[in-house]
Amino acid sequence: MIESDLPKPFKDLEKYLDWSLPTERERSAKRQASDIGVLTEFYEAMLPRMDDVLGFLSEHPLDNIPDDVERLLNLTFSLAEIAPAIENFDQANVVNGYDVARFNAAHE
Amino acid sequence: MASVQTSRDLKWTERYPDIGTGPVPVEPYISREYFEKERDRIFSKVWLNVGRIEQIPNAGDYFVKELAVCKTSIIIVRGKDGTVRAFHNMCTHRGNQLVWDSKGTCRAFTCRFHGWVYNTDGSLRHVTDEDNFFDMDKASMGMSPVSADVWNGFIFINIDANPSESLSDYLGTELQASIAGYPFDKLSGNCFSWYTDVNANWKVAHDAFAEIYHIPTLHHRMIGNVYASKSNPWANALEFALYDKHGRVSLAANPEWNPTAVETLAGKFGDVVLQQVNTDKASFPPGVNPTDAENWSFDGISLFPNCLLYVSNATYLTHTFWPLAEDRCRWEIRTYSPRAANLAGRFSQEYGKCFFRDTLLEDGSTLERTQTMLMSGVKKEIYLQDQELILRHRLKVAERYINA
Repeated sequence: MIESDLPKPFKDLEKYLDWSLPTERERSAKRQASDIGVLTEFYEAMLPRMDDVLGFLSEHPLDNIPDDVERLLNLTFSLAEIAPAIENFDQANVVNGYDVARFNAAHE
Repeated sequence: MASVQTSRDLKWTERYPDIGTGPVPVEPYISREYFEKERDRIFSKVWLNVGRIEQIPNAGDYFVKELAVCKTSIIIVRGKDGTVRAFHNMCTHRGNQLVWDSKGTCRAFTCRFHGWVYNTDGSLRHVTDEDNFFDMDKASMGMSPVSADVWNGFIFINIDANPSESLSDYLGTELQASIAGYPFDKLSGNCFSWYTDVNANWKVAHDAFAEIYHIPTLHHRMIGNVYASKSNPWANALEFALYDKHGRVSLAANPEWNPTAVETLAGKFGDVVLQQVNTDKASFPPGVNPTDAENWSFDGISLFPNCLLYVSNATYLTHTFWPLAEDRCRWEIRTYSPRAANLAGRFSQEYGKCFFRDTLLEDGSTLERTQTMLMSGVKKEIYLQDQELILRHRLKVAERYINA
């Protein structure tokens, strides 16, 4: 289970490790495939921990990221991905939006 | 424009009598004949922004721009001398494309067909089995060059074999002064970009990002109240300026805007695309935030024909719209920000990126629906209000080129 570890102070978030995905495409696909209840649970689990998480991440430079820190970072990226679903749309997808699958990310 | 009236009683559009105030024709958005004229008389004649110098920082770095509208493929490469050059992506031998990747780094370009080798300055270095050719003058058989120049780090090319004006003249002094000193080089450490092929005329897509009027309605879930406020419910601009070919708008943010919970977290460690309010007027060059507004948000520059550049406090972005047919285009988006100081800053950028992308998906929702109905031919004209004058201006400038 070593590969599924998060940094010690954030062990409580390990049940959400399925959200620790490395690319925008994968995080977006998981968002689109999740119902709003699942998204809300993840959002509500992450939000109260974010001050501590960001304080921790602010101590880390961009290079040579340890694996457990990278998994934590990718969890926060999934929060960034799903935040509009909770805070703006109240559904997984952009309301009446252009198909995100046709939107090619050139940065990954 | 030929004449500018500046009375305060006039609407912005009325200050530029040449562009008119009436409805504008649908035909340029749907006609194949018009598309062919755009191809021959605009896109094959003017300077086009194809990217930035950060994409090719080192000697030998290159990227390829597929330029369907000009029926060619272009290699943009940084030479050993540091100069950025552009060439048609074509072997002199029998015409094969030299580069098949979209980007890369090389010492020389080697054709995969028969192994001809070209230096990064375009000259022909080596011909395999050269002895079996006849009267070969290698000095005249290099890659076909394309005019290329750089402005504020943006790479422009011009397909015309003899461009009628330099890039600097094409941009014009007013536009260049309006953005002089903006720290593009300091804000380019991080780039997020997307592209998508849309079943809509390139101007339908362009126009969707060249006006602010739609924001309170289409984006009411996302950014409606970032710009619109009680005193400015339709997010009217602070100022417009139309130049010979290009244009500019300056926009205020809503000082009473309430960020969401995650947006607030993101704001603690970094800037999110275009949402920040700049209150430090002294920190910016004189042309930016031209009205010295306390709650300035961004300036938008329309670069004729197909590029929109938006600059704000700590980020900037471009939209570029590439015609594919009268009813199809490729829409490219690039956002730039400084390299994050740490991983918390990366979270802030990631939130800004996702939020911006979702806002773009709202924009994207109208494009194909609009094109479908324009193609129906039911209506011959569409209506533009005062805050949509950049669209009106661009159509007029295009007319000038097409009728020249």
